[in-house]
Amino acid sequence: MNIYQPHLMRIREITDETVDTRTLKLEFEDSSLAEQFQFSAGQFGEYSVFGEGESTFCIASPPTRAGYIECSFKATGKVTQALRRLGVGDTVGFRGPYGNHFPLDEMKGHSIVFIAGGIGLAPVRAVIWNVLDLRDQFKNITIVYGARSVGDLVYKRELEDWAQRADVKLCLAVDPGGETPEWKGLVARIPTAVEQTVSTADDTFAVICGPPIMIKFTLPVLEKLGFPGDRIYTTLENRMKCGLGKCGRCNIGPTYVCKDGPVFTAAQMRKLPQEF
Amino acid sequence: MTHKFFSHQGLSSLVADLLTAQTRVIAPVCAKDDPAQVDYQLIQNVEEASFGVRLPRRSLKEFFLPPSEVLLHYKQTKTGVEIREVPTVAPPQVIFGATPCDVAGLAAVDKVMNWDYRDELWFGRREATTIVSFLCNVMDSTCFCTAVGSGPEATTGSDVLLVPVDGGYLAHLVTSKGEALLQSYGLPVNEAMMATAQAAQSAARDKVTPNLPAIPAEFAGWLARNFDHPVWKTLALRCHGCGACASVCPTCHCFDIVDEHESVDEGVRRRNWDSCQTALFTTHASGHNPRGSQSERFRQRIQHKFSIYPSRFGEILCTGCGRCSRACPGGMDLPTVVAELVALSQAKPEVSGQ
Repeated sequence: MNIYQPHLMRIREITDETVDTRTLKLEFEDSSLAEQFQFSAGQFGEYSVFGEGESTFCIASPPTRAGYIECSFKATGKVTQALRRLGVGDTVGFRGPYGNHFPLDEMKGHSIVFIAGGIGLAPVRAVIWNVLDLRDQFKNITIVYGARSVGDLVYKRELEDWAQRADVKLCLAVDPGGETPEWKGLVARIPTAVEQTVSTADDTFAVICGPPIMIKFTLPVLEKLGFPGDRIYTTLENRMKCGLGKCGRCNIGPTYVCKDGPVFTAAQMRKLPQEF
Repeated sequence: MTHKFFSHQGLSSLVADLLTAQTRVIAPVCAKDDPAQVDYQLIQNVEEASFGVRLPRRSLKEFFLPPSEVLLHYKQTKTGVEIREVPTVAPPQVIFGATPCDVAGLAAVDKVMNWDYRDELWFGRREATTIVSFLCNVMDSTCFCTAVGSGPEATTGSDVLLVPVDGGYLAHLVTSKGEALLQSYGLPVNEAMMATAQAAQSAARDKVTPNLPAIPAEFAGWLARNFDHPVWKTLALRCHGCGACASVCPTCHCFDIVDEHESVDEGVRRRNWDSCQTALFTTHASGHNPRGSQSERFRQRIQHKFSIYPSRFGEILCTGCGRCSRACPGGMDLPTVVAELVALSQAKPEVSGQ
């Protein structure tokens, strides 16, 4: 089996997150593979629809939930639109896991602030559930999540779950104009929501994913709170084909997102050529 | 390294024996569409080969990384999908008359194809191939192999290097694979032959050296520090972004992966040559392109070859064959570009764009 050959997986469950974003729950066809398969939160894979091609997404489910993986995607291009046409029981290809991961071991014993915008919650969600499944090994958990509008919030049932947990501080926000009459969360952009929710950087790691513009304006807020650049983690999402460091397109200067990433600290990002 | 002598006749009979034994033999052959040009091709008899006429139009990479290659076959069934694997073991083949720059290119791509994950398709072909290169004597003003750590007499990647001497060739047996190929062939060498070969190698080197001075070791670091230097804005003004340079380059190895239907329920996944010079190469699904302009894409090409790859693998990702300059419809000339950048890097004080 060559390195470009995917494993076969079956779609077990489909969840529509928003009008254009969908989550697939996938199980390996080969049950022995299902038992062997291991990954860490933050790693990604190449998902394929046979006859359409491959597409790169993070693994959106946590490694603490064995036996399946989930991916969330927005129907945008050829492969994601084809993925959207598939139903429960259909077959997809999966290669992975690839890339580095969030430093969960390093974060143990500390507090974590999770910040996500839109579908940027997908990679963060893998870490959140990983941490919540090992809840007693971490201190305070804060989640700040926002989207353009209420309709654009993903993983809505899980947001309710987090809201009800006493051991999680959750702040939900939508952009001004994106609220509904029933909306009880903040009407603010993410940097403001972070300012209002997070009070200290002491003993705390930050994990942030979302549109580049959101990250750009949130990093100064975190820095003002006192987060050093090497305690702020994010992921980069460049176009990829192989995921293995060979096809030659995901690099930012000397840094290959597929091999050196996709998880980077803000300090590492600052040193990269500004070409992403 | 051991050495042997081959008469012209001795070499011909070796090739003839290989062909009789059904071994695939690849050699430079005059192109059908243009007899003045040479291509590496499979040959059926030794007379087809044209050794030492000129640099082949394309490098050897297509024999190891085909322009389009099947990665797997799939079939939709009533219950799911079946995958049929492609073989990763290739039939034995011998390449005769390779130029050292082309072989050095394969050795450079080896490092990428073995970077943490081993590309069995590439290495299946590499391992099945024995390469007999010839001392290059077909250099022209566009060649600059000696500037990038290679040379017309370089043995990197070759199993055997043949150097013309009186009455035939002196063979440098570089690897055990090369020794095995020539085990029952060849004659002992004498000191006069060794001296003639040495003189031929030096003379060949001297023909290329004036084209471009050796690239200084500090150049890679200067490129990395000058990612935002204003020179990048103007350097690529004549670049059309066609990617011809990447097609003919012995070290360019970037590829795309696409699926193709072959019938309603069957098809293949392929990898096809790709080039960092095209806009779609890095364009995200959202439409955002980190390398949105041709100057950024050309910067990637130069940075990759002269700084990024060196930072990872300790050598330059260019063998100085000069094909990119010959192929470019816009007249972009890599040695000129490199010379300009090297001059900038040596200007004092260093002008940093950062």
